[in-house]
Amino acid sequence: MLRLLKKALEVGEATVEYPFKPIEVAQGFRGKPAYDFSRCIGCGACATACPPNAITMDCDLERGIKSWNINYGRCIFCGRCEEVCPTGAIVLSKEFELAVIKKEDMYCRAELKLCRCIFCGEYFETFREIEYVREILEQVGLTKKSSESRVQFLKVCPKCRRHKVARIAALSNWHVDLNGRREENGTRS
Amino acid sequence: MEPEAKLQELKAKLKNVIKRSVYVYRVDCGGCNGCEIEIFGAITPVYDVERFGIKVVSSPRHADLLLFTGAMTRAMRLPAIRAYQAAPDPKIVVAYGACGCSGGIFHDSYGVWGGADAIFPVDVYIPGCPPTPAATLYGLAMALDLLQQKIKREQWVEKEVTPVLPKYEGVDPDLAKEIEREARRLSGYLYGRRIAAQYLEFVREKDPLAVDRKVKELVKQEKDPRLAEILLNLHKIYMERVGHDAG
Repeated sequence: MLRLLKKALEVGEATVEYPFKPIEVAQGFRGKPAYDFSRCIGCGACATACPPNAITMDCDLERGIKSWNINYGRCIFCGRCEEVCPTGAIVLSKEFELAVIKKEDMYCRAELKLCRCIFCGEYFETFREIEYVREILEQVGLTKKSSESRVQFLKVCPKCRRHKVARIAALSNWHVDLNGRREENGTRS
Repeated sequence: MEPEAKLQELKAKLKNVIKRSVYVYRVDCGGCNGCEIEIFGAITPVYDVERFGIKVVSSPRHADLLLFTGAMTRAMRLPAIRAYQAAPDPKIVVAYGACGCSGGIFHDSYGVWGGADAIFPVDVYIPGCPPTPAATLYGLAMALDLLQQKIKREQWVEKEVTPVLPKYEGVDPDLAKEIEREARRLSGYLYGRRIAAQYLEFVREKDPLAVDRKVKELVKQEKDPRLAEILLNLHKIYMERVGHDAG
């Protein structure tokens, strides 16, 4: 009996004082994905990578908005979003106290503005992503003059871009052969 | 009295009565048993939920609180309903784990009906895959009104366009990409990104000789041979590129 008491005193208390005092989580603990709205460009890499589809993206073409949604109730804390994020907008924090009473509190939503295509006028990409690409092109060292036309070219949607490139190629190489057909295309569209 | 209001009143009364003696019955509706392991982790002496009187019992007839773990599968929905009906009213229902909250990674499987909330009225959701014993403790304490909820629904709207700048300001993006890729190849995305950021801090100097001196100094001081190796590898990429540009 005494020996047991002595042993117990030697070992001390094993129980953590958690709810009364904050607990220190292990190094590299993957908790709630902390979202930094000011760094998000809305590229959708995280939504593509997310295994349980906790992160989803949606386009509202009426309002010109791309929305980013996360459901913490579905998140499996794998960290794939952090791995693929090009700007570091999403980082897994150490927060683990995520219990909620209402399901709505587990959701997080962000809305990014979409840019219109300068030719067809349809929404196609977020302003932030275009700005981000422009910034990178500038850093790579494009001259001011050529980057000006490139900036304009960034605001062309993939569909129009394909049309333009095809038209330029056709005009420059097979001007005579395709001249008639080009007009045909023009009338059809 | 409205049935909903009456239920709330009964639940408040129940919480008042069971204060320091809460019997928990857990129902596995078709999960991977990770959540069970964490629940049993929570009743070990380290986390010791029994100091709050929370006890895991083996029959739903004794239970005040039902823990539904795992996605609600088609095959387990009837046993889950039986367990729910066997528990005496009023009872507290807790959806446990990512699967219990919303179906988790199995949400689009053919045999899954969603989370526990697809069938039962849930009082508290404890997300996590699996929730750690500390998160379990927090969630159960919240179910018993001992602690307050911490997270809230968040919503951001972009009012005016604010540009996002690339991560490594002032470094050639091609070089930054190559350095980060190599660092991630050698040490994984988490440490790779940190090491790449650390290295690119030096590169910002622009003067290759100064960069070379500083990196060599850092490598000499570094006690972890793995980190020194990675830094040297990154440095090789940088020096090759600089040499190429000069030549």
